[in-house]
Amino acid sequence: MEFALEARQLKKEYQDKLALKGLNLQIKPGEIFCLLGQNGAGKSTTINLFLGFITPTSGAAYINGLEVADHLLKVKEYLAYIPENVMLYPNLTGLENLALFSSLAGFEYDKEQLLFYLIEAGLPAEAASRKVGTYSKGMRQKVGIAIAVAKHAKVLLLDEPTSGLDPKASNEFSDLLLKLSSQGTAIFMATHDIFRAKEVGTRVGIMREGELVDVLGTAALDANELEKLYLNYMHN
Amino acid sequence: MVRSIAQKEFLSTLRDKRFVVLSVLVLLLLLAATVVGLYSAHTLQQERMVAQEEVNHQFHNSQDRHPHRMAHYGSFAFRPKSSLSFLDFGLDSFTGASVFMEAHRQNSANFSQAQQSSSLIRFGEMTVAFVLQMLLPLLIVFLCFGAFTQEKETGTLKILLSQGVSLRRIAWAKIKGYSKTVALVVTPALLLAAGLLFGQNGFDLHPDTVWRLLLFLSFYLVYFFIFIVLSVIISALHRRSSTALVTLLGIWILFCVIIPKAAANLGNTLYTTPTKAQMDADVHEEVAKGIDGHNAQDARAGGLKKELLRKYGVDSLSQLPVNVDGIIMAAGEEQSTRVYREHFDKLTNTFQQQNLISELAAFLNPYLAVRHLSMGMAGSDFSHYLHFQEEAEEYRYKLAQGLNHLQATRLTYKDKTTRLSSDTWKEFKPFSYETPPVQWALSHHVFSLAALFLWLVLVCTVGFRLIDKTQIV
Repeated sequence: MEFALEARQLKKEYQDKLALKGLNLQIKPGEIFCLLGQNGAGKSTTINLFLGFITPTSGAAYINGLEVADHLLKVKEYLAYIPENVMLYPNLTGLENLALFSSLAGFEYDKEQLLFYLIEAGLPAEAASRKVGTYSKGMRQKVGIAIAVAKHAKVLLLDEPTSGLDPKASNEFSDLLLKLSSQGTAIFMATHDIFRAKEVGTRVGIMREGELVDVLGTAALDANELEKLYLNYMHN
Repeated sequence: MVRSIAQKEFLSTLRDKRFVVLSVLVLLLLLAATVVGLYSAHTLQQERMVAQEEVNHQFHNSQDRHPHRMAHYGSFAFRPKSSLSFLDFGLDSFTGASVFMEAHRQNSANFSQAQQSSSLIRFGEMTVAFVLQMLLPLLIVFLCFGAFTQEKETGTLKILLSQGVSLRRIAWAKIKGYSKTVALVVTPALLLAAGLLFGQNGFDLHPDTVWRLLLFLSFYLVYFFIFIVLSVIISALHRRSSTALVTLLGIWILFCVIIPKAAANLGNTLYTTPTKAQMDADVHEEVAKGIDGHNAQDARAGGLKKELLRKYGVDSLSQLPVNVDGIIMAAGEEQSTRVYREHFDKLTNTFQQQNLISELAAFLNPYLAVRHLSMGMAGSDFSHYLHFQEEAEEYRYKLAQGLNHLQATRLTYKDKTTRLSSDTWKEFKPFSYETPPVQWALSHHVFSLAALFLWLVLVCTVGFRLIDKTQIV
């Protein structure tokens, strides 16, 4: 079967540090894979390798069966990326930001369609015509989701997207992820939030010093057990 | 794709109040410089036209005189302002506006604006060229320094790239967006300038003026484009906006202040010019070795007299069919003019070598390239000044020799009392000066033209290759 996202012996070495030590990973369409790990564990490096922003030292990353390093632009058709803090363009409105990013991905929408995607992502309709500079972080994350949805992305790469969000906004965000996954979107989320990972993740990976030390199915675990396991890995 | 980002840059900039205030200030300066420049140039032109007509009238209506008295009475040549000099005063404010043309003496142009103004003129004038050459690049720096660094700092660059856009496309789109913004600042002032220029009462729309204006605009468009691309590249190569801004301001200071001053100083050091007093003394010394038409005992004049007696086969000077005094005057004029021209050519050569250093420095600095081309198109550069000086000298020589010819053919030997009728002076065509054509102006700035073109090619090739090296993470 073709995986939405795959890493084969993916390795990244910087001058003085081995940031990623031969990662092997497969994520199926509709699956939410949450990657837990401390700062500097290699989570963002993994995402940057899937995005093609850095080149692997060895091994390969694949999106929809295409090797990222060989198809830098083509793989972008399938994926969407939401960073920890979706800043967007503060002088443009939510609608204008969405219109811009959609058109860059090759989708031209009219105002009604754009509004539909923003509301679908949970943004209040009245906020859509306001400048993004006036938005809260949660609202900006929703525009980020709208950008991904409007692009019909098959793979969603999220780098600590709920960090700094209030519980209500985090819950709304989780609901959106679950909705997208039910529609077949593969989601890779790097996070520090063990409880969120357990709540939305199909599987959870634990990364330590560039190495994926464990992959657990969330169905058989509760959040407390996951936290205990995670802390255990971090202390050993 | 490119259009969307370009439009976003344009919209974002228009909504940025800081930039709007800065742009409005620059636009107001441009508009003010245009109106004041045109008014000032128009006034000067009117004054010079009136003065030229007045001296021509005075010369043609002079009383009955001995032709050699008339040669010393002389006339003036006023340098007309070129149509576009209001855009770039260039050297006009420092070079003279009028030349006194008389026998035996080759005067240089006098009465420059700088001589008649306060020393404040040394700080530079607020001309359209000053705003376009110095302030617009500064505005571009403030507009573009965050082109990539802000995207990196806010993380939007990653989102942009994840949408499937390449770095080069983003860079190109930004350049397009910023170019549109700069055009918005510059266009109203340039339209006003063209409107005021062509709408002037009695303005003679010459194709050469149109060409000069079009080239003037084109050179500045290329200059701004180079600065925009350079700023975007520098922004792409930096991680932080603050360091990109400092680098760009450093480049601006280097281009607009340090290199031009250094080039001028280097030119002065390598090719020193004599002082005016020294040159006058040298010319005087050498002329003194020639024929002195005013000295009856002059040995060299004696030789010429003997030669004439031999040529016409007569025994005395009074038997000659021509007045020997006029012939001696003509020979003296020819010799003094030759000496002067030799010295003047040497001096001009030194100035041109100094200018060559500055022209070659344009390969290091697009500011110098556009500065030379701008003055060239506006007709206010050294070449145009020199052209006027040479035309005036040519006229002076012909006038002096024409009067010497009158003395030789219409007066008799030792006749110092006969006066020629005032109608005689009307036979001399008045001095009139035509600005040389645009091709001539361009031919004097080949290095600057090549340098500007090279900069354009360089930023578009090497620059875009550097964009690919942008660190995203």
